[in-house]
Amino acid sequence: MTITQFNIASASWFRPELALTAGILLLFLLDVLVRKQSRYRVAVLTVAALACVGVAAALLAFQPVESRAMFNGMIASDPFATFWKWLFLGAAALTVLIAARSDEFPSPRIGVFYALLLSVVLGMFLMATSLDLLMLYLAIEMVSLPSYAIAGYKPGDRRAAEASLKYVIYGGVASGIMLFGLSYIYGLVGSTNLTALGVRLESLAAPASAGGQLGLRVALMVAVIFVLCGIGYKIAAVPWHMWCPDVYEGAPTPFVAFLSVGPKAAGFALAVRVFYSFLASGGGPEGFARGLADVPWPAVVGVLSAVTMTLGNLSALHQNNLKRLLAYSSISHAGYALMGLAAASQLGVQSVMIYMLVYLVMNLGAFLAVIAIAQATGSETIADCNGLSRRHPLLAVTFAVFLFSLTGLPPLAGFVGKWYLFVAVLSHYAGDGGAWYVTLAVIAALNTAISLYYYVRIIRAMFIEAPAGELVVRPRVSYQIMLGTFSAALLLFGVWWNPLIEWTQASLTFLTRG
Amino acid sequence: MNTQFAIFVFLALATLIGAASVALSRNIFWSAMGLLSCLVGVGGLYVMLSADFVAITQLLVYIGGVLVLILFAIMLTSQIQEISVSNRSVGLVGGYLIFFVVSTLLSFVALWAPWRLTSKEPVANTTVALGDGLLGTWLLPFEIASVLLVATLVGAIVIARKEVKSDS
Amino acid sequence: MFSRLLLIPLLPLLGAAYLMLAGQRHTRSVVQTIAILAVFASCVISLDAFFVGLPAVVHEGGISELVYTWFAAGSVEVDLALRMDSLSGLMCLVVTSIGTLIHFYSIGYMAHDEDYARFFAYMNLFCGAMLLLVLGDTLPVLFIGWEGVGLSSYLLIGFWYKEHANASAGRKAFITNRIGDFGFLIGMFLLFRATGSLDIPVILGAAQDGSALSAPLWLGQSVAFWAGVFLFLGAAGKSAQIPLYVWLPDAMAGPTPVSALIHAATMVTAGVYLVARMSAVYLLAPAALAIVALVGALTALFAALIGFAQNDFKRVLAYSTVSQLGFMFAGVGTANFAGGIFHLFTHAFFKAGLFLCAGSVMHAMSGLGDITKMGGLGKRLPWTTRVFQICWLSICGVPIFSGFFSKDALLGGAFGTEAYGHGLAWVGPLVGVILLVAALGTAFYMSRLYFLVFSGPCRADEQTQHHIHESPVSMVFPLVVLAAGALFAGFAGVPPALRELFGKHGESTLAVWLEPAVGAPLAVAHRTEWIVMGISTALALVGIGFGYFFYGGGYRAPAHAFARKLPRLVALVRDKFRVDEIYDAILVRPLQALCRITFLVVDRVLVDKILVGIWAFVADVGGRACRFIQAGDVQRYLAVFAIGLAALVWVAARPAAPKEIQVVVTGRHAKVTLVDDEARSGNLQYRFDFDGDGVPDREGKTASASWIYGGPARYTVAITIEDARWHTRRVVERDVEVRP
Repeated sequence: MTITQFNIASASWFRPELALTAGILLLFLLDVLVRKQSRYRVAVLTVAALACVGVAAALLAFQPVESRAMFNGMIASDPFATFWKWLFLGAAALTVLIAARSDEFPSPRIGVFYALLLSVVLGMFLMATSLDLLMLYLAIEMVSLPSYAIAGYKPGDRRAAEASLKYVIYGGVASGIMLFGLSYIYGLVGSTNLTALGVRLESLAAPASAGGQLGLRVALMVAVIFVLCGIGYKIAAVPWHMWCPDVYEGAPTPFVAFLSVGPKAAGFALAVRVFYSFLASGGGPEGFARGLADVPWPAVVGVLSAVTMTLGNLSALHQNNLKRLLAYSSISHAGYALMGLAAASQLGVQSVMIYMLVYLVMNLGAFLAVIAIAQATGSETIADCNGLSRRHPLLAVTFAVFLFSLTGLPPLAGFVGKWYLFVAVLSHYAGDGGAWYVTLAVIAALNTAISLYYYVRIIRAMFIEAPAGELVVRPRVSYQIMLGTFSAALLLFGVWWNPLIEWTQASLTFLTRG
Repeated sequence: MNTQFAIFVFLALATLIGAASVALSRNIFWSAMGLLSCLVGVGGLYVMLSADFVAITQLLVYIGGVLVLILFAIMLTSQIQEISVSNRSVGLVGGYLIFFVVSTLLSFVALWAPWRLTSKEPVANTTVALGDGLLGTWLLPFEIASVLLVATLVGAIVIARKEVKSDS
Repeated sequence: MFSRLLLIPLLPLLGAAYLMLAGQRHTRSVVQTIAILAVFASCVISLDAFFVGLPAVVHEGGISELVYTWFAAGSVEVDLALRMDSLSGLMCLVVTSIGTLIHFYSIGYMAHDEDYARFFAYMNLFCGAMLLLVLGDTLPVLFIGWEGVGLSSYLLIGFWYKEHANASAGRKAFITNRIGDFGFLIGMFLLFRATGSLDIPVILGAAQDGSALSAPLWLGQSVAFWAGVFLFLGAAGKSAQIPLYVWLPDAMAGPTPVSALIHAATMVTAGVYLVARMSAVYLLAPAALAIVALVGALTALFAALIGFAQNDFKRVLAYSTVSQLGFMFAGVGTANFAGGIFHLFTHAFFKAGLFLCAGSVMHAMSGLGDITKMGGLGKRLPWTTRVFQICWLSICGVPIFSGFFSKDALLGGAFGTEAYGHGLAWVGPLVGVILLVAALGTAFYMSRLYFLVFSGPCRADEQTQHHIHESPVSMVFPLVVLAAGALFAGFAGVPPALRELFGKHGESTLAVWLEPAVGAPLAVAHRTEWIVMGISTALALVGIGFGYFFYGGGYRAPAHAFARKLPRLVALVRDKFRVDEIYDAILVRPLQALCRITFLVVDRVLVDKILVGIWAFVADVGGRACRFIQAGDVQRYLAVFAIGLAALVWVAARPAAPKEIQVVVTGRHAKVTLVDDEARSGNLQYRFDFDGDGVPDREGKTASASWIYGGPARYTVAITIEDARWHTRRVVERDVEVRP
């Protein structure tokens, strides 16, 4: 098969992405075509965006399940990717629904927002499927660049401008460093294909002089850490988290909700692809533990995980702004999920998948509650929650459900997610480096306790503090429905999590070696 | 030291010094000039790597397009030259420390890593190969890059433009 | 996935969920229709499942349905599995049918209550949880039902929560049940540890094999014994047995239909059900059975005695319930599982009937429950009186009525049991004698209740008298149905001795049905049975006679004379032997004092000052540091970025080194030992190069090696430590000096 034929053949496995691309263009067009003054403008654009997501989902549903590399090894189509694609489409659809009724997107600007959102989703698709360093970099940029634009979306808002600018600078540096690391890898191996990299690196590592060996080791180590930094910036892990609170504070909240789950999940998908391809000798999750360049990469990820969750939680303690608080909380959740990567096993990957799935629902829910509160009070501090249980019980109760789920208390789905992360880490108890894994689990448990403190601060404000003044809180009906559905889902999957396990189990197959 | 190496050192220095002056100069015009030097240096390095097409593109797009645009922007904006850098950051000591640590590490890697070396004909026409590659092996990244650029452009326009009055 | 059995508990639970969420918006008629339909539908499904699949239900181990695997973690797999066999099927029928009747009754009884929807929601919740409890085929599912009924009981006892006493009665029930649940959980874990499974069939199978559960555990007793004792602790909590019975009388604070359904007919019998369900485990441990039987018998007697002097209608019935539950435990404790369940079955009808009559009477008496103020209601409440008479004769054990047969089954079982070994053979007859005395007591205090309420002149004030009226049809109808049950339910378990009179042989229908679930019925000699029947009938009549003698047509002279002669005894009995006060003195107060001290030491000093203080300080400093970095400068952010990167490189590049290298030289013999931390040792490969020639001389997983040098000199030992996990390698060197 010639290269062209191969490309053409690949296109039929690329339909969801093509649908998204078509949707992006369609939305750009519709944005111009639908009159700005039209009463139905938001409705038309929202329906168009949802339809685009729906078509992509339908095409995804009919995609054959076999694993294969496409476009000359640029991207993969496998059950693992399909899992993440569903997750991204879900996040996108929910974000569209949230944004449609939000005050933060004036109707003239909402069309472009949807288009940019969909291009971010396209980028996330590519992140979860990349099999090539070039593709991987492009995918990250595809997620980042539109995000920078959306972060500064509020017209004439200084915070928005600040958020956007900081995001650009920070993201630029991070992806620059990542690109630098990628260039090292290319320079050492002469290939950009992830599936080939692992094999070539192994053969490279075998015979060499002593000096060369050290040079190789340091070069690989630096390269991997630089790549890690690009991924770490996407999932907002310490020490690459600094952008997170400022951007969350300034960007439109519906987009922040998306940002806190979508790109983070995509970052984890990418991390799994990277770690389990060229970082793992022999391929597969177990191979990851036998590190490249004599570095115990799971231990490095474990250290990152511990530091991330601890710093995230400690910083969240004193926040009064709900969005900043949730920003730090999302940092700490990245830390928890990193535990799954540090576990370096099938179970570890699976636990990350479960966690991201659950985290998607609970974090979107928490942000939705914040949006509903901000719509009523005009600001988003903990004090705005005072007496919420008396003003709007549904909102207060569902927000409490999200927060308890984020803490990881049973019988909510957050507990299930965390439980599997702990199981993944603690299953190494008797094995290699057991004490370190136990230490990591202990740190995570302590962090869970710390996190309870600041989550409960909000709950306390909602249920115990007296409401200040006579403020009417009436979330929009669609928000009420979503709040109810999200918390019902968390409750349901908190007691009946077998479907999550089965789905993630079935999605564990992925291409590691081409 | 042969001529080729001398040229390389010259180009590399031009790139580095140019980059440093972009970052360090307090006069924005000099920064732009530093950028020019940096871009030309990189273009020269491309030539040395037998990447003729990329080198030409570098000159055309970055120097002919981007840099000229930047210079126009600087010339047309009167106040922009008098920026006062209000950087109350970690301070120079910390900055130098980080710089030296990182640069030592990177130099070590550059010097000691067993880079995969290939030799090529001094000058060969790469245009055909590039064209084939972009529409063959690298089709997907090429197309994705185009989508990315469209999205980015529109995004940039959206933040930059003023609100239309009738919207509010 | 779809399961017919699942529908049985699910429908009431769905009804409860719907009523809780949306019940306020509906009118009363909609609320009651939803609630009753939910329970009635599950009643119909139970009937269908039980009778249509009768051979399968009874003889083939029951219908078992695996709804889904709830979770699997490691070797533990917990299924949501339901099983309907004869035991759980019978319970199902009792719960759903009596549940439906009492829901129906509540329409009239709760007609004037504001929280109509909440009441029916809780009632539905209770039915759903109870059905889950009896149908659960794994201990966790059973436990969820167990906790669910506890929860709904708590909610319903404190239903009129605005009165402090009601709320605290709810709390008392909750706490007492927690003590029992603790026993349940321990019993469950013991069984899990011994058998490796939480599935009831697996555990029962293991019990029949015996080996895993007969292994000694503590104090020379077997696992089965301890599991049995702890499960019985749980059962005693739920079923109000000594010493955990104190909550049940207080639980009468709830609405009367609740008392009838939960605290008489169904929930409180869950403990008996549990013991019967675990019969195979108990049969392995006769000592545990003896404990069950003795506690049951003593409770039966003790509660009956307390019943002598209670003046609140529902309280008398509550103690009577405690007493009757004691009978049931005495039954299952003498390995007469079918008998215990039979009594549970008949008791459900007559006790629910009695309670509903109490409700009807209190309804008529404007909510008054004091029997000293009643009397002469026989003519004013004709239907209620007839029903009460039937149930009264039934609980007294007068022949023909259902209570006669079931009580006789228990008594005969107690005298005829062979479950105990020789050392414990005295238990059976002792239990039997205690039960006979208790039966006499029962006949007496129930007769006292009957005569004081229904005969003679009315002692209520004018206004109350004026209001007395028969209850509406919705309340009378369930009464009549229950009376029919109280009259006829006994015929399901006619003992073999009596059956012979009618030319039938073998065991009764009920005993035959229950056989696959709880084992063959006790074979009691016909002579024993006749004697027991004779004695118990005589005692019932004597009890009723005494009752008439003291209270026929109101308080009569002997009653007053007795009270005057032994005022202290009467006061003691009236104060329920002051058990609540004893508990208060020996448990509650010391505990409260302990709590206060603990609060001061742990909470105020340790937690507030030391733990929180230190953490708050750390968190504060951490927060300040973070705030300093997160000041908003992008430059500062990027500096953190770079420093983090460098730190990570440092972390990644850091090789592992042993903590210490010990060298011992004796003569030419050198021994090198590497001290490493626990986690790493065992995973490391060591190569020792003693002579410095680059070739390893000793190799292996042990962190020490010896070598004999050729002559005195200064050598360098190079040790290569390789970590197979990370593929890391480190070389450490140490000088060794060998002196001449």
